[in-house]
Amino acid sequence: MNAPAHADVPIKVLVTKVGLDGHDRGSRLVANALRDAGMEVVYTGPWQSIPAVVKLATEEDVDLIGISSLATDHLIVPQLMEALREAGLGDVPVIVGGIVPDADERTLREAGVARVYHPGSALAEIVADVTELCTTPARGVAS
Amino acid sequence: MSGAAHDRTTAPADDTARARWEEEIAAVPGAAAPRHNRSGIEVRPLYTPDDWDASAYDADLGYPGQPPFTRGIYPSMHRGRRWTQRQLIGLGTPADYNARLRTLLDAGATAISLIPCNSVYRGVDADTVDPLLLGTCGTVINTPQDFADALDGIPIERLSIGLNDPLPFTLLAQLLVEARRRGVPWRDLRGTSNQSDYLSHYVANHMFFRLALPGSRRVLSDAIDFLGREVPHWNPLSVVGQHMQQAGATPAQAMAFTLCTALQVAGDCIARGMDPDAFLPRFTFFYDISISFFEEIAKFRAGRRLWAKLARERLGARDPRSWRFKFHAQTSGVDLTRQQPLNNIARVTAQAIAGLFGGLQSLHTDAYDEVLSTPTEHAARIAIATQNILCEEAGLGDVIDPLGGSFYVESLTDRMEAEIEAVIAEIDAAGGMYAAVEQGLVQRMIGESAMAFQARVESGAQTIVGVNAYLAPDDPGERAPLERPDPERMAAHLERLGRYKAERSGTAVRDADDALARAADDPGANLFAAVVDATAAGLTQGEIVARLRERLGFGQPQAMV
Amino acid sequence: MRRGAVDLEAALGGDRRALARALTAVENETTEGLGLLAALDGRLGRARVIGLTGPPGAGKSTLVGACLGELLARDLRVAVVAVDPSSPYSGGAILGDRLRMERHAADARVFIRSLAARGHLGGLSRSTAWVVDLLDAAAFDVVLVETVGTGQSETEIVDLAQVRAVLCAPGLGDDVQALKSGILEIADLVVVNKADLPGAAETRNQLEAALAIGGRRPPVLATSATRGDGIAGLVDACLAAETAGGRARDPDRRLRHVIARLAGEQARRRLQDDDATGVAGLCAAVRRGELGLDAAARQALATLTD
Repeated sequence: MNAPAHADVPIKVLVTKVGLDGHDRGSRLVANALRDAGMEVVYTGPWQSIPAVVKLATEEDVDLIGISSLATDHLIVPQLMEALREAGLGDVPVIVGGIVPDADERTLREAGVARVYHPGSALAEIVADVTELCTTPARGVAS
Repeated sequence: MSGAAHDRTTAPADDTARARWEEEIAAVPGAAAPRHNRSGIEVRPLYTPDDWDASAYDADLGYPGQPPFTRGIYPSMHRGRRWTQRQLIGLGTPADYNARLRTLLDAGATAISLIPCNSVYRGVDADTVDPLLLGTCGTVINTPQDFADALDGIPIERLSIGLNDPLPFTLLAQLLVEARRRGVPWRDLRGTSNQSDYLSHYVANHMFFRLALPGSRRVLSDAIDFLGREVPHWNPLSVVGQHMQQAGATPAQAMAFTLCTALQVAGDCIARGMDPDAFLPRFTFFYDISISFFEEIAKFRAGRRLWAKLARERLGARDPRSWRFKFHAQTSGVDLTRQQPLNNIARVTAQAIAGLFGGLQSLHTDAYDEVLSTPTEHAARIAIATQNILCEEAGLGDVIDPLGGSFYVESLTDRMEAEIEAVIAEIDAAGGMYAAVEQGLVQRMIGESAMAFQARVESGAQTIVGVNAYLAPDDPGERAPLERPDPERMAAHLERLGRYKAERSGTAVRDADDALARAADDPGANLFAAVVDATAAGLTQGEIVARLRERLGFGQPQAMV
Repeated sequence: MRRGAVDLEAALGGDRRALARALTAVENETTEGLGLLAALDGRLGRARVIGLTGPPGAGKSTLVGACLGELLARDLRVAVVAVDPSSPYSGGAILGDRLRMERHAADARVFIRSLAARGHLGGLSRSTAWVVDLLDAAAFDVVLVETVGTGQSETEIVDLAQVRAVLCAPGLGDDVQALKSGILEIADLVVVNKADLPGAAETRNQLEAALAIGGRRPPVLATSATRGDGIAGLVDACLAAETAGGRARDPDRRLRHVIARLAGEQARRRLQDDDATGVAGLCAAVRRGELGLDAAARQALATLTD
C-alpha cells in the first residue's frame, strides 16, 4: 500500500452508501485500504439519505467523499452533487464505486463525480487517486 | 468420515513408477510448487489411490438417497427429475413482472421466483422512496393487490414458488392471502422462503435485515411453527451461504456458517418443544457457486455428508428425510467481470457444471451482464439456455455424482469436510451461530478472508482473465443495452398504490394494526399468524415492518470494518 | 488539501461549515487553529461537558446515540466528540462511532465530530480539549465526549469533562477487573449498560463492591441503550449539579488544564529551540553526573522567567 500522503495531517475521507442497497463488501475493502494508506476514514452504515451525507461531510470536514453502490443507488448521486454544491461543499471531490453501467457513468461524470470505479478496480489505484484528488489544489469539481 | 485418508502411509503399488514421475514433474518449473484453493487447502499436482481409501466406500459414500448422502440425497438425482431451473427475476411494476414471468415460463423455466424492489427489502413502501430507485432491481410489491397483479393468470398451485422474502415474510403473507382469494388451499402451495436467514443478513447483507436479532429469531420460529401446521409443503427456511461467500467467506467457511445457522434455528425450534422431524425435512440451503471448480464440488459433497451427521447426532432427528441436505445454488456474481463481459458466459458455465456435479436440487445461472446492470432479458435468456445445453446436449444429468471415486475429488471432499468441521468448532466455542454473530466473530472471519483474497488478486497470485491478465480493449458492443423501468408505468403504479391506501377500510386497518402490535408485545402469540391477518386486512408491507420495528426494535447491523 | 481560511465569528455564530473548518484547524494544531483559542476567551464554560469512557463492547456509541434522543427531547443543542484509535502502523483510522448515533445525527441541533487519536494515549487525541472548547464557545448546551475505549489508562477525560461517566456491560469478563483497578476511580457516574442481558446484576454487584473498597459512592445506573431503558435517568444525573460525584468541582479546573497544556507546549518549544536559555549547560551538567534530570528540568523552567 502507498505511504501516507502527509506525515503530519492525514487525509480525511468519508466512505458511505446512499439509497437502498446494503451490500458492504466493497465499501469495507476500500475503507480498510484507505486506512492502511494512512488516511482517516469516516465510515457509515448503508442507506444514508442525501441530507444526511451532506450534514456528515460538513461536520466532519472531509477532504473527499466515496460512495459505494452495488445496485442502482448511484442514480441519486447527481442529486447528492447538487445538494453538496448548495451546502457550499462543491469543492469536495466525490468518487463512486460499484456496478455502474456506461450510460450512467457518463451522467455521473457530467454531474461532477471525479472518478467512477467498477468491479475489478484495484484498491491501489483507488488509494492513489484519492491521494491525488486530496492533495492537488483546486482539484475539486466545483464550478 | 475418513478425514485422514490423505495421510495414509501404505506403500503404493509401484514405487519406482511413482519415483520416476516425481522426478520428472520436479524438473518442470513451477509444476510441483504448492498451490492452494480458496479455503486454504493445498492442491497437489496428482492424486492416486494413496489419497483415497476406497475400502471406506460404504461408510463415507454409500448410494444416492442413502446416508450419508455424499453421492446425492435422492436415489435418481438428475436422472429421475431434472434440477429445477429457478431464475430470479423482478423488475419494474407488478404488471412488468407478470409479462416477464410469462416469457420465462414459455422459455422453459419450471419454477417461478420473485425478487422485490430493494425498497421492499428495506421494509418501506414505494411512496416513501425516490422514484428513480424504484423497480430497478426488483418488482415493487407492497400490497396484496400488487401481489395479485404480479401473479395474474399464473397457476400458483402448480408451480414451485421462490420468494425473496426476508422476515417477517410479508410476501408469503400476500401469497397466502392471494391463494385464499382464488380458492387455492394452502396445502397445495409449494415453494421456499428464500431470504429467511436473518443471521446471514445481519452478517453479510444488511439490505435484507429488517428486525433486531431477538425479534428476527422469534418471528422465524413462529413462522416455522405456523407453516408446518398450515402450509405443509412450504419450506420456511433457506439457510443462506451465498451472502457470506459473496462478502468474502471462503467456500469452507460459508458451508460451516450455514450448517451452524441450521443448527441454531433447529435448536431454537426444539427449545420451544417442536419435534425436529416435524420441521427439518423442510429446511433448505442456498449457496454461491464460485469458479473454484473442484473446491465447490467438494464443498457440496462434504456439506451433504456433514449435515446428515449433524441432523442425526446433534439434533436427534430420526427420520432420514431430516438428514437430507436440499440446496439451491446460484453461480457467483462476484466472479463475473465487467471487462470483456461475454467472457462471463464461460464463467457461468463452469460454475454451473460445478454446481451440477455437486448435486444441487435447483440452479440459478447468472446473466453475463449482471456486473454491468440489472440483468437484461436478452442475457437472462442466455443464462437459461446455458442450463438447457448442459442438461440436454452435454448430458450432465445422465450419471449421478459422476466425479465420485475420483482420487482428487474424494480426497478434497475429506479435506474440505475437516476444514468445515474446524470452523464449526470455532463457532461452537463462541456459543453457537447466534452468539458468534452477536459478538462479531463471523463478521471478522469473513472480513479477513475478503482482504486476503483481494490481496491475492492485486498481487497477481490469483489470475482473473481480462482484469489482471490477458487484458484486451473493451468492446462496448459486447454490452447489452440498459433496461430501466418505464417511468410512466411506475408513476401509474404509484397512483394505484395511493388509491389502494385511500380506499381501504380505515377501521379494519386500525384494528389489524392494533392486533399486530398486541401480538408483538405478547411473547406467547404467533407473530407470523398476526402478519398474515394484518396483510389480509389490507396493511402494506411497509406498515407491517414499521409496526414490528417499533415493537421489536430494528437494531442496525454493526458494520465491521 | 482543501483547508480553507477560518472565519471564527461565523463558526461561533451557527455556521456549521465554518465551525467544522475551525475544528479542523484546531484539530490539526495549525497556527491559525491555535490562534483561535485565544479568541475564545470569555466564551468558555457555558456547555456541560460530559465524558463517557469504558471498555470496548460496553456500548459507548450506542449509549451516546440514545442520550442524544433524550437531550433533544429536552430541547438542548448537543455536540458529540467521538475519538477512535489510529493504527500504529499506517497512522490511518476508521472513524465508525457515528454509525451507532445515526438516529439523531440528522437533527439540526446535533453536531457530531469524529477524531482519530493520532498516537496520543489517554483515551483522547492531543487536541480534543481544544475541539471541546470550540464547541463550548459555539454555544452547544452539552458536549458529549466519547473516549477511544481501550481500557484503564483513559484518565485524561478527568480534566476535560465536568461529569465523567464510566460505562460497563455484562459479559466483558476481564475488562471489569481492569475497570476496578483503573478508571473507576475517576467516575462521577457508573453505568451498567446492556442491563437487559443476563449477568447485569452480577456486573453491578462487582462494581459496587469495588467502589465500596475505594470509599466512594458515585451513583451506579442501569441502562439498555438499544431498548432506551434508564436513559432519562442517566441524562438527569449528567445534567445535575456540579457535585455529581460527591466531590466539589472546581469550575476552572479544565481551563487550568488547558492553560497548563499550552504553557507546557510553549515551554517545550522554547527550551528546545532557543540557544539562549542555557539548556546546553544543563545538558553538560547532566552528562557529567552533577545534576539529576528532575533538577535540570526545574532549573530549565526557571530560565523562562522573562
